[in-house]
Amino acid sequence: MREKIFITTIALLFLAGCGQPAPDLDTYNPNPSGVDYNGTDDTNKAETVDIDETVYGNGTGNGQGHGNGHGGNNPNPNYDTSNKNYHGNNSSGGNFRSIYFDFARYAIVSKMENNMHHNNQVAKRASGTMKIEGNCDEFGTDEYNYALGLKRAKAVKDRISAQGVDTSKMVLISLGESNPTCRETTDSCYDKNRRVDIHLAR
Amino acid sequence: MKYLLILLLSINFLTSNLWGIDAKIRIEKDVEHRGRIALVDCSSSKNTKFFKILQADLKISGHFLANKNQYKGDFSNDYILPNLKSQDYVLKYKLNRSKLSVKLFQASTNKQIFKKDYNIPQSNKVPFLAHKSISDINKLLGYPDISWINRYVVYAVYTRAKHSEIRLADYTFNYTKTIVKGGLNLFPKWADKNQKSIYYTSYRELRPTLYKLNIYNGSKRKIASSEGMMVCSDVSKNGSKLLLTMAPNGQPDIYEFKVGSRSKRKITNFNGIDVNGKYINNESGIVFISNRLGYPNVFKKSISGSGVSQVAHHGRNNSACDAHGSNIVYVARESNSAFRQNKFNLYLTSSRSSSRRALTTTGANQFPRFNTDGSVVLFIKQRANSSSIGYTNLNSRQSLLFPFNGRKVQSIDW
Repeated sequence: MREKIFITTIALLFLAGCGQPAPDLDTYNPNPSGVDYNGTDDTNKAETVDIDETVYGNGTGNGQGHGNGHGGNNPNPNYDTSNKNYHGNNSSGGNFRSIYFDFARYAIVSKMENNMHHNNQVAKRASGTMKIEGNCDEFGTDEYNYALGLKRAKAVKDRISAQGVDTSKMVLISLGESNPTCRETTDSCYDKNRRVDIHLAR
Repeated sequence: MKYLLILLLSINFLTSNLWGIDAKIRIEKDVEHRGRIALVDCSSSKNTKFFKILQADLKISGHFLANKNQYKGDFSNDYILPNLKSQDYVLKYKLNRSKLSVKLFQASTNKQIFKKDYNIPQSNKVPFLAHKSISDINKLLGYPDISWINRYVVYAVYTRAKHSEIRLADYTFNYTKTIVKGGLNLFPKWADKNQKSIYYTSYRELRPTLYKLNIYNGSKRKIASSEGMMVCSDVSKNGSKLLLTMAPNGQPDIYEFKVGSRSKRKITNFNGIDVNGKYINNESGIVFISNRLGYPNVFKKSISGSGVSQVAHHGRNNSACDAHGSNIVYVARESNSAFRQNKFNLYLTSSRSSSRRALTTTGANQFPRFNTDGSVVLFIKQRANSSSIGYTNLNSRQSLLFPFNGRKVQSIDW
């Protein structure tokens, strides 16, 4: 009996000390498949594409990459930005005025009511499609910031549509933090980036 | 004797439990079982950058204790320096342009246990030779798989207003390459486990449009578009289903999209913000970010049910997450300034418990992403005016930071 207890105890203590074992070089086969000794390996990292979206096909085609770097000469081909700098901090186009928002919020604040009223009147007369762009400061992350920009754009769209403007004439888009009008690290600068711009899409 | 047995059993039980809950004891125990390894550079000219990549590979594996010195040696013989005899292994390597030769020795006996040559066509992809050789050695020695170090990281960076680029990198960011440029192209996401294709959102058209791009032959297919926003947040294991954030009526919600039939169904339905859907629990449910409590936080729900429950129970601004199995990592903003660099930390939790573990404690840490087996979390750390790519091994609790001097990251996937 004593012998059994002794063996059991030793076994339990041994098990208690077991963790992830280091490889035992005396017992494992260093070359199980026979391919690693003196072998060669051409790592399979074939060359990848280099695509320039400004010259690359738009559709479902089989276009090859290797664009030639024409990107960026006309970053906003769909926008009428002739009204830039109108009325102070405005970055909207087509006589519209930008609407600015509080940090992390998407409700239209009372101090923006004048601009909103102005936009309603312009929207009623607009003949083309209005592109309503939501923008954010740089403090958000990833998807949430884009959603925040979208909710800001939707708040503006809802106010315009409440004036009887056909919703089919308005298109929403969130640009997240990708389109800052100001890049300084100041309070007023971040204020300028939390905004909705309206442009007439061509 | 009976009392002695009970006493010993009690000690054994208590000791086992302590190992289960006391991280310090467990780490020390793990350290004992890591392979001590020294690197001997036999190249014709010293290459410190390559040596550091090898060291990083060994460290992030969690299976090795790498000697910090870059020893010089002769590749043609089996001689091992006497002061390296106390190591478990000695790795001799010779790098010649884009060719790497390695030999692994058992240090105490001089016994060669592995020898292999590696080639890669492009010399700028040499970091992948280091990763491949270390993952091979790790496998040979019977440690858990680390082949994820061979994978590409895909990420988007802003270049100027309304412009971004999608780039590839090795996990150390010693190799980088732009694959998509021109205009605003965002939210790259690997489309398959073999990293042949990516999904990404193009802003070239009036509505954000999701494309699938083969990164090797350039073939590109339009998947879906939506007014407002379009993001591919997650891809199912077999690639047949996607979790998309779309806003067909200006309202951001999460949809499950079947690639084969191109059908979609709405998974969340809330008039605020629901984004960042990630599959959990064998794709039977999702975690996601929602502001349904008035601030962004992490929630979970089943794919088909309507009930939603809160996952993160601390913090007032948890605006991004990733998931692997039942594990969830999320970003918590822990300062509340609208006008200066905020403190963001990462926390690990589970869809099956309310416990959490801090993964970072300093700086602004964002964009957490699990690796393919869920053992390592990638993140971007911003401190003062510098940013880094960080990795933390959840098992060994070791962390690595690599300098990242690129532009502002928009999104990243591994």
